[in-house]
Amino acid sequence: MVVLYGLGSILIAFMIGILFAGIARKVRARVHWRYGPPLYQPLIDIVKLFHQQSVSHGFVFDFGIFFSLTGAIVTLFFIPIGNIVPLRESGGLLVVLYLMLIAPFGIALSSVEAANPNASIGISRKFILALGYEIPFLLIILSVMTYYGTISFAEIVEMQRESTWGIISMPITGIAFLLILPAMMGLKPFDQIGAPQEISSGPEVEYGGIYLAMSRIQHIFLVFINIALFVSLFLGGGPEPLTFFLKMLPVFFIVLIVSTVYPRFRIEQAFRFCVRWPTILAFLGLLFVVWR
Amino acid sequence: MLLPYTLITAFTGAFFVYLTGKISEKLRNFLALAVSLALLIFVSLLYTKIGTSHAYFSFLDYALTLRVDWLSWFFGIAVVSINLFAIIYSFSDMKGKKRLDLFYMLMLLVNAGMLGVVMSGDFISFYIYWEIMSWSTFLLISFKEEGFSAGLKYIVLSIIGSCSILAGIFVLYSQFGTFNIALIMEQMNMLSTGFAVAILTLFCIAFGIKNALMPLHTWLPDSYTETESPFTAVISGMLTRMGMYGFLLILFVIMGLNRYISVVVEKYSFVLSWLGAITIIMGTFIALLQNDAKKLLAWHGIGQGGYMILGIAYGSAFSVAGGIFHTLNHAIYIVLLYFSVGAVEYRTGTRDLNSLGGLIRKMPVAFLGGLLGISGLIGVPLTNGFVSKWLIYKSLILNHSPFLAFAALIGTWGTILSVYKFLHNIFLGQLPSKYSEIKKSPFSMQFPIIVFSTAIILFGVLPGIPLNIVEKIMVGMGFESLGVKIWGIASETGSLSTLNIFFAVLLVILGVYIFYRTGFKSKRVLQEDTYAAGHYIPKDKYAYTAEFYAPLFDIIKPIFKEWVNIFIEKLTVFGNNLSDRIRRIYVGDLGTYVLYIVLFLAFLLVLRGNIW
Repeated sequence: MVVLYGLGSILIAFMIGILFAGIARKVRARVHWRYGPPLYQPLIDIVKLFHQQSVSHGFVFDFGIFFSLTGAIVTLFFIPIGNIVPLRESGGLLVVLYLMLIAPFGIALSSVEAANPNASIGISRKFILALGYEIPFLLIILSVMTYYGTISFAEIVEMQRESTWGIISMPITGIAFLLILPAMMGLKPFDQIGAPQEISSGPEVEYGGIYLAMSRIQHIFLVFINIALFVSLFLGGGPEPLTFFLKMLPVFFIVLIVSTVYPRFRIEQAFRFCVRWPTILAFLGLLFVVWR
Repeated sequence: MLLPYTLITAFTGAFFVYLTGKISEKLRNFLALAVSLALLIFVSLLYTKIGTSHAYFSFLDYALTLRVDWLSWFFGIAVVSINLFAIIYSFSDMKGKKRLDLFYMLMLLVNAGMLGVVMSGDFISFYIYWEIMSWSTFLLISFKEEGFSAGLKYIVLSIIGSCSILAGIFVLYSQFGTFNIALIMEQMNMLSTGFAVAILTLFCIAFGIKNALMPLHTWLPDSYTETESPFTAVISGMLTRMGMYGFLLILFVIMGLNRYISVVVEKYSFVLSWLGAITIIMGTFIALLQNDAKKLLAWHGIGQGGYMILGIAYGSAFSVAGGIFHTLNHAIYIVLLYFSVGAVEYRTGTRDLNSLGGLIRKMPVAFLGGLLGISGLIGVPLTNGFVSKWLIYKSLILNHSPFLAFAALIGTWGTILSVYKFLHNIFLGQLPSKYSEIKKSPFSMQFPIIVFSTAIILFGVLPGIPLNIVEKIMVGMGFESLGVKIWGIASETGSLSTLNIFFAVLLVILGVYIFYRTGFKSKRVLQEDTYAAGHYIPKDKYAYTAEFYAPLFDIIKPIFKEWVNIFIEKLTVFGNNLSDRIRRIYVGDLGTYVLYIVLFLAFLLVLRGNIW
C-alpha cells in the first residue's frame, strides 16, 4: 500500500511538474510575443535525451545524480498531495527540510567531478543563493511549526482544514515565502546558477543525454515540491490531488509572471535581496507568532 | 576488580610503551596496540559491572573511589575506541618522526587520564585525572615546534579551568564535608540557591573552557591545527568533550534534574542555551571563512560543541538526549574527517584548501571518509548526525523556543557551505599537475577511515543502538523514557523512523538506477575532457578553488570575526601601553626618588588628617 502511494505521488508530481514546465515555456514565449513550443515539449525533450549519447566522468559523477534524483523523490513522499502521504510518521517537516538539500547536494557532488570551472562556479553560486533563501525559509518554517505546535506535516495541513488557511492566520510569513519562491526554484531573477550566457549552464555544463534528463526531472520535482510546500503550509493543502493542483496553479503563475519580465540579478545582489526583505518579513512573522 | 585493573593497565601500559620504545620500535608499536585493544576489551566488559564502585586508595582519611555508571561507560567506550584507531592511524602517519616513544606514551596517558575522569567516584580523583589529562594534552599540542604557542594558549586557559574546578570542589566540601560524588548527590537538596549558583558557575567556567564554549574557546582552533593528525582526532573527538561529561555530571548528576529545572534554572538554562546558540552561529560561520582544512574543522568543532551545550542546557528530555547523542556522533564524524585530512596531508604535504583539488581519483578511501564525514556533520538523513540534531530541533520547536531553533538550524546551513567547500577544494574540481603522481593512503590509515565510515551509516540507519544507552543514562538522571526503538523514536509528539527513510531511499535509488540503465549508455571520458563553450581551459589554470565563495565573503566577513581574539589582542596592547607608562616613573635620578618618598609621606599625613 505504501509502495502504491509512493508510486502515485511520484506520478502525480511528475505530471504536474512537467505541465508546469510546459506552461512556463508557453507563457514566457507569449510575454515575448513568440508563439512558443507545445505544452508537452518538456516531455518530448526528456524522451529525446533518454536516447542520446552522453559522457560520464567517473563514479561520483553517476552516483551524485542518482543521489540527487533520489533525494527529490524521497522528499515527495513526505508531502501530503491531497490524501496521499507515503511517509507520514517518519520525522515530519524537519526531515523535509533536510531532504530538500539532498537534491542540490547530489548535483553539487556529481557535476564537479569533471574538472570544469564553469560547474564549480555554478555550484558556488548555488550555495550562496541557498544560504540567502534558507535564512528566511527557516524562519518561515519555524513560524508555521510554532504556530501549529507540531512538527508533523500532515497535522499542519489537517489543522488548517479545521480552522483557517495559514495565509490568513500568518499573512506576513506567507508573503515572505512568496518572495523567496523564485529563488528556491531557480527562476529569474535568481537564475545565476545555470546562467547560460555567463557560465554555459553552470552545473549542467557536463550533462548530456540521460544525465541531463535526470537533472531536468530532478528540477521538475523540485519546482513541484516548493510550490506544494507553499500550498500545504499556507493554502490548506487539498482534500484530493485535483484541488491541490488547482491551488498550485495560481501560485505558479504569480512566480512565473514575475520571472518572465525580470533580468538576472548578480549573485551578491540576489543574496542581499534574500537576506533583506524576505528575512525582515519572516522575522516579523515569527515575532508575531511568538507574541500572539 | 575489573574497574581498577582497567586504570592500572591504562597507566602502566603508557609507561611500558615508553620503555620498550628504547629497545625496539616494532615492539613499542605492538605494545601500544595491545594496550589499546586490552583497554577496549576491559571497558566493554565493564558493561556487566555498571552501577558498581570500588574504593582503591585512602588519602587523608578520604576514600578515593572509582565507579562506573551508564554515563561514564558511554564516554569510556567512546574514549577507548577512538584511542585504538588513533594509535593504528599513527603507525603510518607518525612513521619516521622524532620522539615517537614520548608520543605514544602521551597518547596513552591522555587516554588513561580521560578514562580516569569518567570513572572517578570522588572529586579528588576527578581533579587528579583531569590534571593528568590536561598536562599530557599540553605536551602533545606543543609536540611539533610550531605548536608551542598554541600549547601555551591551551595550558593558560586550562589552568584557569583547573583553578575554577578546585574552587568548586572546595565549596562543595565546605558544604557537605565529603568529596564523594554519590554522597554529595544525596545531600544536594540541603544546598541553598546561592551556593548552587556559585558551584554551577565555577564548574561551568572550567567545563566551558574544555568544551570551547564561546567566549572561552580561544585555545581550540590553534591547538587542533598545530598538533599531529592522530592526536587531533583524539582531542577533537573525545578530549574536548570531557567538558560535556563535566557539564552532564554537574548539571544533572550532582545538581539533579529537578533542582536544575526548578530552582536555579530559568536564568541559568537561558544563559547557557544562548551561549550555546551563539557558539553554533559564530563557530560555523567563522569556519566558512577558513582556508586551512584542519582549522575549518576546528571551528566546526566549536560550533558543534554549541549544539551539545544547547541541547543539555535547554533541559528538556529530548534536547538532553540529543545533546548526549550528538557528543558521540560528533566524535565519530569529526575523527573520520581528521583522519581523511590527515591522509591528504600525509601524501601531499599541505592542507591549504586553496592549492589542493581533484584528489578523488587518487585517494578514493579518503574521499569516502570525507564525504560521509561531512554528511554526518551536516546531518544528512541516514547519517548519524541527523538523529541527534533532529532531537534537539524538535524539542526546541515544541517547547516554543523558535529563536534558539533558528540559531541551531541556520548553523546547519552554514555548515553545508563550508563543508562543501572543504570537500570540493580537496577532492573535486581540477587536479593540479603537481599531484598527478600521488599514491593511495596506506592501509593503517584506510582501515580507521573505513571503520568510522561504517559507524556513521550504521548509527544513522539504526540510531536505536546508541540511543538505548542514552536512554538508560537519561532514566538514571531522572528523565522520563524517550520511547527509543531500534529504528528511531516513537513518541506522541512526533516520531522519527530512519529505517522507513532508509527503505524508501533504497527502493528509489534502485528505481533510478534501472531508469539510468535503460537509457542510452554513457561513454567514460577523462576528468579534463570537458566542454568550455568553445574556450580552451589550460592545465593548472582557472581552478575554481581559491576564494570559493568570494561574493559571499565580502558580505559576511565584517560580521563574523574572531571578536574574542580581537578583544584579547586589544587588551594586550592596552596592558602593554599601561605598563609602559608606569615604567616611566623610574627616571633613574636620585632626587626624583627622594621627591616620591617625600610626596608619599605627605600623602600619608594627609590621610591621617592631623597634619595641622
